[in-house]
This record gives sequence, C-alpha cells and structure tokens, in this order.
Amino acid sequence: MSVRASTPILAAFSVPGVIVLALFFIVPVCSVLVGALSDGGSAFSRLIADPVFWNGLKGTIVLGTVAPLFSLFIGFSVALTLARLAPGLRTAALIAISLPLTFSGLIVAYGFILLLGRSGFVTLLLATIGLDPAVTGAFIFSPLGLGLAYSYYLVPRVVLIVLPAITNFDRNQLVAARSLGAGGLRALIDVMLPQIMPSLVAAFCLTSAVAVGAYGTALALVGTQVNILPLVLYSKISETGTDLPAASAASLVLVAICAAVVAIGEAVGSRRTRR
Amino acid sequence: MQVIAIAYLVFLAAPVLLLLLGSFGETWSNTLLPAGFTGRWYEEVASDPSFRRAFFTSLQIVGVTCVLNMLIGFPLAYAIQAGARGGVRFAARLVTLMPVAVPELVLAFGFILVFSSDALPWLGSFWLLAAGHLVLTLPYTVTALVADMEQLRLDEYEHAAATLGASFAARLSDVTLPLLRTSLISSMLTVAALSIGEFQLSNLVAGFLSRTYPVVLLQAFYGATGFACAATVVLLILAALASITSSTTAQIGAFEQKKPQ
Amino acid sequence: MTLRYDAVSYTYPGTSIGVFDVSLEIGRGELLAIIGASGSGKSTLLKLLAGFVKPANGRILIDGKDVGELLPEKRKLGVVFQNYALFPHMRLWENVGYALKVRGIGKAERRALAVEMLARVGMGARADDLPGMLSGGQQQRVALARALVFEPRGLLLDEPLSALDAGLRVEMRDEILRVQRSAGIATLLVTHDQEEALSIGDKVAVMHEGRLVQIGTPRDLYETPVNAYVAAFVGQSNLWPGKVTGTGRIDTEIGALACDTKGKSNGEAVIAFVRPERVQPTSPSAVAEPGHFSGTIEADRYLGPIRRIDLAVPGGRIRLETHLRGPVTSVEIPPDAIRLLPVS
Repeated sequence: MSVRASTPILAAFSVPGVIVLALFFIVPVCSVLVGALSDGGSAFSRLIADPVFWNGLKGTIVLGTVAPLFSLFIGFSVALTLARLAPGLRTAALIAISLPLTFSGLIVAYGFILLLGRSGFVTLLLATIGLDPAVTGAFIFSPLGLGLAYSYYLVPRVVLIVLPAITNFDRNQLVAARSLGAGGLRALIDVMLPQIMPSLVAAFCLTSAVAVGAYGTALALVGTQVNILPLVLYSKISETGTDLPAASAASLVLVAICAAVVAIGEAVGSRRTRR
Repeated sequence: MQVIAIAYLVFLAAPVLLLLLGSFGETWSNTLLPAGFTGRWYEEVASDPSFRRAFFTSLQIVGVTCVLNMLIGFPLAYAIQAGARGGVRFAARLVTLMPVAVPELVLAFGFILVFSSDALPWLGSFWLLAAGHLVLTLPYTVTALVADMEQLRLDEYEHAAATLGASFAARLSDVTLPLLRTSLISSMLTVAALSIGEFQLSNLVAGFLSRTYPVVLLQAFYGATGFACAATVVLLILAALASITSSTTAQIGAFEQKKPQ
Repeated sequence: MTLRYDAVSYTYPGTSIGVFDVSLEIGRGELLAIIGASGSGKSTLLKLLAGFVKPANGRILIDGKDVGELLPEKRKLGVVFQNYALFPHMRLWENVGYALKVRGIGKAERRALAVEMLARVGMGARADDLPGMLSGGQQQRVALARALVFEPRGLLLDEPLSALDAGLRVEMRDEILRVQRSAGIATLLVTHDQEEALSIGDKVAVMHEGRLVQIGTPRDLYETPVNAYVAAFVGQSNLWPGKVTGTGRIDTEIGALACDTKGKSNGEAVIAFVRPERVQPTSPSAVAEPGHFSGTIEADRYLGPIRRIDLAVPGGRIRLETHLRGPVTSVEIPPDAIRLLPVS
C-alpha cells in the first residue's frame, strides 16, 4: 500500500518484533490464563473460598482508586502551574518531574522509609510536637500510606498526560468567560474542565492500572504484610509447593482489572486524540 | 495551585535528599538526621562481591536490552508507522498498551510456567532475563519512535526523497535514520533507565548468578541504614543520569535542527 | 515532455472520495493550474502523477509512456511540497544536490551544480546554510531549485504558496513563473487560490467532487464558465435562476431580462450569469424595460479602484462593480453581458 516501502519490506521489518512479543509475552501470559482454567474452574472456587484473596482484592481496589485520585489532584495542580511557566523553565521542570518515572520502585520505597518510617524524618519531626511515632510511623505501611508512596511515580504520569491538554487549551476562553461575568473558579469549572476531561479520565485509568499491578514498592516497604492482590499473588508464586492454578486464577483477576481500566482509559483517551 | 506545585517539588526531592544524606552519614538510628560524615558505605557497596556482580550483570542486561531494542524496535516502529492501517494499526496500539494491562508480576509468573518446562528450560539464564527486559521496554520504544516519526512528518521527507530519485535503502540511510538520530538516542537512554531499575520481573526470573542490581538491593534494606542508602543512591544516580541525558538529547535534537553548525 | 492523464480514476480506500474519469494533458513548457475546494480531488491528481498512489483505472503517461507501475523514484518528476519538505539535516547545497547524489554524481560536481541552481533562484550565497535558518519564501526558492536541478520531465507544485504571507505570495508567484519559463518544463500547479491559478496558469482546470468540470485558458474560465459552480468559484458573479419565456427573453427571480437564447427551448430552466463589472449604473428610467432595475444599496464596499455594490431589487439582489463615486440606484444589464448556464 505505502509508497514509502514495499509490503514485503515492511513485513520483514516487523517479523523480529512480532516473534519476540509472541514468544516472550503472548505465550507466557496465555499460559497463565490457560492455567487458571486448566482444572475446570475449581481453582476459582478455591480462590473464592480464600479470605486472603478477598482482603487483597479489597486493598487493591482501595489503593487503585485512592492513589490515582490523589495523584490526579496533585498532577492537575502541578500541570496548571507548569502551563503558566515560560517554555524553557517548563521543559526543565518537566525533566525533573519525569525523573521518578524511570526510578525503580525500590528507590521510592527506601526513600519513604527514611521519610515516613518508624524512625523517619517526618515521623520524628512530628514526635517533637507530641505525635506518637508508633502511630505516625505506621501510616506508610498502611494501604493509604502505600498510596502516598505510589503517587511519587503516578503524579508524573498524570502531568505528562494532562499538561498537553492544558497547554493546547486556549486560555482566551477563560478570559472570555470572565468577561461574560463568570468568576475565576467558575470559569475553570464551566469552560476548561469539560474540555480537558478526557485527558483526566485517561490519566486516572492509566495510573489506576499501574497502582493495581505494581508490587515492587509494596514488597520493599512492608514485605508481604499488606493486603493487596499483587502481594497475595507474589507470595503464592514465590512459595514452593503452592497452588499454581489458584495463583493463575488470581493473576487472571489482576489482569482483568488492569485490562478493563486500561480499556476504559483508551476508549476515552482516543476521543481525546481524535478531536 | 502554585502552593501545591511547590509542595510537590519538596515531596519529590525529600526522599532523594534523605537517601543522599543517609549514604554519607556515619550512623543514623532514631535521630532526625544522620551523625558524622563518611564515604565508607560506598566503599563497602563497591567491595561487596554480590553487589559487584549484580552491578556488572545489570550493565550487561542494560546494554543488551538497548541494542536489541534498537535492532528490533526501530524496524517494528517503522513498519507500523509507514504501513499499518486499520486492524493492524489497532493491534499495534494494543501491543503498546500491554505492559500496563498485564502487570510485570503476571508476566514473570508466565515466564516461570513456560520457561521452567523441559522444552524451554531457560529460567534463570542471562538471555531469558534480557528477553524479559526487552519485552518490557519494546512497547515504550515503539510508541516513542512512532510518535516521533509522526511528529517529524517523516512521510513527507521520504516522499520528497523518492521524487528526487532515492531508492528505499537510500531514503533509509540518507533521510530516515539521520532525522531519527536524536529520537533513537533519546529512547535508548530511556530504555536504559527503565532497564537498570527493573525489579518486578527480574526479582522472580533472574537466576542466582544473574541477579540484577535492584534484586540484590532489596536485601540491603534489612541491613545498616548507611549501606542501604549508599546502595540505593548508586541505582538512583544511574537511572537519573540515563533519564536526564535522554531528555536533554531530545531537547538538543529539537533545537539543533533550527540552528547552524 | 508531456504529462497526460487518460481516463484516470482513484478512490481512497474505505471512502467515496477520490477522482473519477479525469483526462487532461500538459504540453511541453505549459503550466496547468488545478483549482478546486478542499476535497475536490486536486491534490489526488498530483499524488497520482507523482506515484504516491496508483490509479484504479486509466493510465498516466509521461512523454507518451504509461508510468502506472513505476515507483515515484523512477518517474523523474520534480515535486515542490506544500511545506517544502527540505531535509533539515542537510545544508542547502546538499538538499539541492541530493537528486544528483543518488544518481552517483561526485561531490565536487554535485556541489557546483547545486550552487549554480541555487544562484538561479537567488539563493547562491546561502549554499552552506541549513534550511531551519530560512524564511518561508527562501525555503520555497530552495525547494524549487531542488525540484529542478536534475532536469526532471515535469514539475509538480502542491499548494506552493499557501504557507506564505499575502504580500510574498504575489512576489513568489512571479518567481515560480520565471523559473518555470526558463526551464521550459511541463508544470502542474495545485492550488485553492483562484487568483493565483488565473494569474500564472496557461490553462486552468477546475475540479469539483472528484471530477474535472472545466479546463481552459483563464479567460475561457472567467468569461465562459460551463456551469454555475465554475462561475461562482472563479471570480465574483451574479447567478439568477430563471426560465426562457420566448426568443431573446428570460424571466428570473429579479425580473425579465433580454439576452441571447440560442440553443435554449421555450420554457427551459436556466441560470442567468452576469459578472458584476458588466452591470452598468444608469439614470433612473420611468419605463420598466427588461434589463433595467432600480433598488437600494444594501452593501457598498470601497476597494480602491472600484466599488463593489450589492443592490437590493424586488425579488433579489444585483452585485455590481463600478468606478462611479456617486449614489447608485438604477442599473442596466446589457444583453451581451448575460450568459445562460444549465441548471445542474
């Protein structure tokens, strides 16, 4: 079809990538999913009977909602501020903000232990005004604390998705709305928010999927003590003599949640790009 | 809004600063900040045999991942951008979404199931780990390159070169690759940053002798604070270097095309 | 050195847009301008000739040879792209010399030929600059040099002036014509700007919804458009639907008109077409004669040498252009100013 390269050349170009993705992605993932169904669904009934699974699912749903919402709020505010900066300064700030994206979850975990752990900087600082370190220091090891640690690398994702929508937004519309008598906040809500909503939804879905699927930071922070689905699955996988079909079934649930959230984000996000 | 942004920057910097402080502190337990100044934690990390081995394994994995990304990712991205329409394009889009839709943990589990079989007994090998890093970073490379190709309006330049008589091979070497040079460098550096910090797959897939730096690092968290900080800072600096070089390369590339040499 | 479309059709996959059964020819040294609204198929014609898309039906011939299966790189056609597509990583002489490079010409000779070509478009002193340093007009000149340096069999210009400021556009229009004339090359110019097309085209083709509606000299198009679409697209016009009521008489929405009705039968529906400059202000006449109208000025635009006036008359509006400075209330439409167009 394309005059840029003949079809055989393009096909040859894509072969190595397709083979790699098939062998090292499609096959492993499918074998997990097939494993979940291998014993006629009894793996699912064992999983459903397991209270650890339900606790994990609950924790994951809380984490997968709270962490993205918090990140969305912070990320949106940061993006609004960045959009007002001069382009050079904005680029520099963006480079700094996107650094955590490539940081290992372990760096974040240990950084937060130093910051908010039982003898962390902030914990001890708060102890000087009389807050019990045993209580404040336990926060980071709770699902909500985990959410805060996750936001360290979720916020940059929000900023990167939302910032283009905000900078593309014609600010004169806000001026126009205010000249028609709308207050500053009202103009923001009535005029700007509806136009950048698809980006916000897309950002929420992406960060939610990341928060649901990740386990590195959580493992480094609390071992397998916090009840979230990935850690339940991790302990199933890493223990010997474990119930592999049940682990596959738990994987299937995890993939289903992530894929559904990503699909919603993609459906809304494609409207964003097509406009 | 600005207050939140400034608070966020503090939030961003605080863990990094504490890690740096901790890595140079003589002792740090139950105090606000560490006491004393020393470089001995870095010496200890550098002389620890398992950290040394993991460090060099990581560098090898990063190198192999980057090279394979270039060799496999660029042709794939080109084929998608130049040729894919309709259904193929949609499938390509799905592929780039896979790493988010399928958590690394599940992929690692799949690796354990498939590659511990008698037919494919590759679990624990260096090359399987490299393949794992490759599939995790390949979608990133393809997405970034396709976006850059669109943004550069590569098709227009290639059409122009074609009307001037350039064959496909000539267009590729004279127009496509030179125009994409900074994109390629920048995305390879990001791949390096991602690969060096990768923990979630490596932790389950690496063999004892092919453990990467982050996998070994986790053990350090249960030891002395200073050692853990120093070991973490090493990883942080490597990732930050790769990431910052990547962003600045992209910026310089965008700038260079507008100015004389 | 001729370029020819022979009953060419092409439809974009999955749509009903494209070009349908187009035949036209561009002779040696001739400049054919193709105009049309966006989506009319004019750019598709250029892509077909350049080889970026292949015709579904019909033949495309260069110097009498069918080039349908030939890849773009084998067609030897110089193309100037809308955004110029100068290679940003190559110096100007390397850009211009690229066609020579892929033909295996050595560096020294290549550079000499490229610099000479650059000089012909007034850019000889900038041979070692990069394209990013140039203004739009300068990039245009370099793009033209690059498209001509390898002595192509035809020159294809895709909206070459659309990215330029209005003032520069007129200057570059003359420049393109000068270079094209000196190269004596068959040229296809695609544009949406009818003024541009009329001013530099030896012939002008009007495309509408994928079909070639009319091809002719600029004068043909302006004075004898084949239908109301062409009349409205090219220049200003009055178009009044009406009906033939007898030999030399028609009845329209603004009233009766006297004109030549040769070839039309009594009662046939027609569209009366009059260019605004052919409408003449007169002094008010008491008698209601065909072709004489009185009304009030609805809009009066001062355009320097002329005024363009919309005169509201019972039943409709008459647009006229006049040098007169005073009030205008009555006009005359002379019979020879009226052409009858078919109702589409």
